[in-house]
This record gives sequence, structure tokens and C-alpha cells, in this order.
Amino acid sequence: MIKVTNLHKAFTVKDGKTKAKKRIEAVRGISFQVNPGEIYGLLGPNGAGKSTTLRMIATLMQPDQGNIEVCGLDTQKEGEKVRGKLGYLSTDMNVYERFTPRELLRLFGEFQGVDPTIAERRGIYLLEKLQLMDFSDVKMDGLSSGQKQKVSIARALLHDPKVVIFDEPTTGLDVLTAKTVLDLLRVMKSEGRTVIVSTHVMPLVDEICDRVGIIFDGELYGDAPPREILGRYSVRTLDEVFFQLAAGGVR
Amino acid sequence: MKGVGLIFKKEWMEFSKDRRTMFFTFVIPLILFPAIFTMMTKMAQGDSDRRRGQASRIVLNDPGDVVRPLLGADAKNFQLVPAPGGDLKQALRDKEFDLSVDVEADAPGKLQHQEPFTIKAMVDESESSSELALKRLKETMKKQDQAWVQARLEAIKAPKDLPKPSNLVTEKASDLALELSKMLGLFVPYILLIGLYTNAMQHGVYMTAGEKERHTMLSLLSTAIPRSHVIWGKLLATFSIGVLGTVMNVIGMSLGFTLLGHQVAGSEAAAAGATGAAIAPSLSFSSLASPETLGLTLLLLIPLGLFFSSIILVLGTQAKNTREAMTAITPGIFVVVMLGVFSTAPGLEKMAALPYVPVLNVALTIRKLFSHQFVAWQYILAFVMTSGLAAAMAWLSTNILNRESAIFRQ
Repeated sequence: MIKVTNLHKAFTVKDGKTKAKKRIEAVRGISFQVNPGEIYGLLGPNGAGKSTTLRMIATLMQPDQGNIEVCGLDTQKEGEKVRGKLGYLSTDMNVYERFTPRELLRLFGEFQGVDPTIAERRGIYLLEKLQLMDFSDVKMDGLSSGQKQKVSIARALLHDPKVVIFDEPTTGLDVLTAKTVLDLLRVMKSEGRTVIVSTHVMPLVDEICDRVGIIFDGELYGDAPPREILGRYSVRTLDEVFFQLAAGGVR
Repeated sequence: MKGVGLIFKKEWMEFSKDRRTMFFTFVIPLILFPAIFTMMTKMAQGDSDRRRGQASRIVLNDPGDVVRPLLGADAKNFQLVPAPGGDLKQALRDKEFDLSVDVEADAPGKLQHQEPFTIKAMVDESESSSELALKRLKETMKKQDQAWVQARLEAIKAPKDLPKPSNLVTEKASDLALELSKMLGLFVPYILLIGLYTNAMQHGVYMTAGEKERHTMLSLLSTAIPRSHVIWGKLLATFSIGVLGTVMNVIGMSLGFTLLGHQVAGSEAAAAGATGAAIAPSLSFSSLASPETLGLTLLLLIPLGLFFSSIILVLGTQAKNTREAMTAITPGIFVVVMLGVFSTAPGLEKMAALPYVPVLNVALTIRKLFSHQFVAWQYILAFVMTSGLAAAMAWLSTNILNRESAIFRQ
């Protein structure tokens, strides 16, 4: 389970022209909860605060204010334990191109404290699931970007995490592979894992998310099943919710 | 500390996948130094042999014909050539001849009256052929002077040893091995400083700023391994690759010096009429640097390597990409080169404050080790001081990696 309470995060940036320092509130008082066996969709335009929120949950960043619990653990106090229970994938991540997928998974298994035999077995399972077994011993600098993305997904899931955070998981993937990833997410849901998916692809949200939160200007809107949000904003698609939020009328 | 070991293993695995870099880091120094030293010695020896085989061209002005018969009789070493027209000094600089010799006109008379006469020689000291001609002239005149003195002594029936009231017998306290060892001691700190820094730079940047640039750092930080372990693992990997590469440089250089020693010993033996092989085997690698010297030098590399590696990691972790890291780190090369050059300066060991100057005290200590002048307190001071600096920099780099601003710089 993930429980986010009154989360705040600000950054200080330098103005290119005036050189003056400016404080930007990236996340402003966000609260939500994702339960086991649930897929939560985190939506929002670029720079809305999605990735910052996800990074804070993944313990890569510390909140200025507020509290995050992952599987009952405080992310600020027990970061290492949290990361052991969490599988994180973002668009900022790439694979080690000098390794083969098998080598990489074996290594990350060790990083996450997984028994080598179990890591090997799970690695093969994931590579098969992601249709990457034929490339398991190919150096990754020879793989396509989609294949690398699949390896990253396998890397994030290798230690059998209770909580999965996928930031734009289908970026760079063809339709078939994207479907494979979605199927994998469904399997994770059926296994009772807690899943957060951040995406721009609205049909994906409709298809797999149980609940959706829309982050806009650092604040969270919605936090309800997709159908309920559409009804709440009297629109037909989630894209239209975006437009309304951008217009500032129905927040 | 398992995380440190895992990161260390990962870095070495990644490094070992790059065969070309491994070859250049570990194998090339073993080939390069011996090859360079052998080539340099062969070239120098070839040049020297060529010059020795040629007679020196002498422009002789000897109105009394005192020196002419001496030089004329030694065709192997001297060739008398006519004086060129124009400026004699310029002609000498233009290598039209090797030495100009002017014997005073009254030389026969002075010789007869047992008075010293003057021989003026014009030499171009910037030319080895001219210097060799002067050396040959001096040797010839020395022999002739002895013959004249003996003749005079015989004429007055004086004992032969009259002009030699004492005999100076010298015994060498050092040998060729010590001389070469001292020379090696001059170069080793230079090679160590530059080798450690550049090796650490190359690999440290790859492991820090390079990881950010390749977008792999986040996947590493999203694992259960603590950040401090990530940085310590990287530090140890940078350090070990850097030190190993540098050790290869030192071994390569020592092998080069051993080869040089063999060649020098060989020529000395040949000059002495013995065979080179009789002397050369006594000059081994261990006679240049004893196991104690090598051991103590390697021990000093630990704090020095860690210090350099930590500097690289501090700068590399702060940079957002390899280019930015290299821009920050490259000026350090000039500083290290300057320190390296300074460490080869003669008389450096006489500077009283040097044992207290960080980094340079390591150079001084190594130099003394190779000169067989080990000073325990200086060694300990250099070790402790460098270890302290290394620890401070390592602490700083760990703190930087904990900063969000360092990880998420775009």
C-alpha cells in the first residue's frame, strides 16, 4: 500500500536572464492512497509535478513537508527498506549497455538482495514474458530502444516488488510490446501488488487504471475511478478534463 | 558493507567489458616504457659509436710544429683540415670542422727552455662532435705532457714518481644499480602523480557523470543499496583501476630502467675490455627497487590514489554530464603535472618545509625510498596527511551524491 499525506516539494531555480533565484512549488499538498491489488493512474501535463511525486515515493527525493508510507514504512526514515519493496521505472532511466540483459538482471538481483538462483529464475520468467529471451545474451548496445525499455521493466520487477511505480512505461514501445506491458501490469494487479502508472496515453488509463489522480500545477484533482471523474467534469474523455483544468475554470 | 562490494564488482565488470581501455590501461605501459627506453638507448649508443668511429676535424695553427706531428700521427682520432675562409667561429658553428687549435709561435723555444707554452682551442660546446674533439686533444696532450715530463726527469736522473707525491685511490660507495635507482626515484613520483590522476579521471568520470549522462545512475539509486555504499563502491573501483594502471606504469618504467642498466653495464664492460654479459646479469629489477621499497611505495599509493579518486568523484558527481565533468577536472591535470615536474627538481629533498606539503611530501618520500634514504617520520607524516585528505574528499563526495540537486541536474 502507498499512503501519501499532504506532500509538498519546492525547487530553487536560477532565472537565466536576471540570475535571480526563484522558488517553484512543484508539489503542493498532495494526498492520496493506493491499495494492494489496485492500479492508480497519475496523469498530468509536463512539469505538473508527477515525476517529482513519484521520485519522492521512490525515495529518490525527500519531501519538504508531508509524509509517505510504502507498505507501512516511512520513506524518509527507511529509504533502503522501501526501495527493497519497490520497483521503479522512469523515462530518466536507461540500461547498462555493456551488459547483456541476463548479466544486468543477475547484478540487479544482487543489488536488491535476491538469492541468485531465484533472481536467475525470475529473470528468465520476465524475459520470456517480455519476449526478450532470444536477446538475453546480446550486449545491450545492440538492442533497440524498445528492447532496452523491456529490459528496464524486467529490472524494475526482478525482486518481486510489492509496490510498482512505472513512469511512462510504454514510451518508445510498439503497440504489441505496449500490450505486453499492459498485460504484465494486469498480472501484477491480480497478484495483489500496488501499482502506480504515470502516463500521457489516455486510452491506457481507461483500460487498466482503477482510480486516477490528475496533477496540475502541483495539486491533485480527481483521485477517483476514471468514469467518476468524467462524470464529475461532465466530459467524455480525460483529455477534456485536462483542457478544463488548463483553462482554470473547474478546479 | 555488502553494497560497497556489489557496486565495486559492477564497476569492474563494466570496465572489463571494454577490452580496448583495459589494454591501454594495463598492457600498453608494460610494452611502452621498455620499448621507449630501449629505442632511446640504442639511438644514443648508435650516435655515440658513429662519432667515436670518425676522426675529429681539426684546424691547426702551429707555426713551430710542436703539436702537428702528434695529431698527424693519430689518423684514427684526428684529421687536419685547412682553415676555411671568413669567420672561423661561424665556420665552427656551421660544423665545417670540429675544433680549432692555436699553438703559440714560440712553443719550440719555450719547450726547450722548459717553460710552459699555450695551446688555445676553440670549441662549440653545443655540439657533441666538437666536445669529443676537445676531449681527444686533451687526452693526447696529457699523454705528451707526461712523456715530456718523464724525459726531463730522466735528463736530471730524478725518480720517475717525482711529480707524483701522492696517489689518490677512489672507491665507489654507489654502483650503477643505485645510480639508476635514484634516477628511477626521480621519475616514479612524477609517473605516480600523473598516472593516478589521469587514470582516476578517466574511470571516475565514466562512473559518475557518465552514469548520469547515460541515464543509468537512477536505476542504481533506486535499488536497496544505500547511497553511501554506491559512492564508496565507485570510489574503490576508481581507486583500484587507477592504482593498478599506475602500478603497471611503474613496472613498465622499472623494466625500461633495467634494460637501460643492462645496456649501460654492457657498454661499460665493453669499454673496460670485459664482456657486457659478465656485468649485466648483476643488474636486475630487484637491485633497482628492493621489495621493501616497492612495498612502501605501493602502500603510499593507497591514500594518494584514494585522494585523487575522491577529488574526481566530487567533481564527477556534481557534473551533469561527461563534458561538464571533464571541464571541471582537466585543469587538475595541469596542477598535477606541475607538481610532478616539481617533484623531479634536483635538491628538492633539501627543502625543510616539504615534508609538510600535501602530495609533494609523497613525492619526496618515494624519492628518498628509491635513494635508500628512508626517513620513518616523513613517511608516516605523508601517509597520515594524505589519508586525512582522502577521507575528507570521500566524505564530501558521499554528501554530494545525497544532494538531489546533484542527481537531478538537467
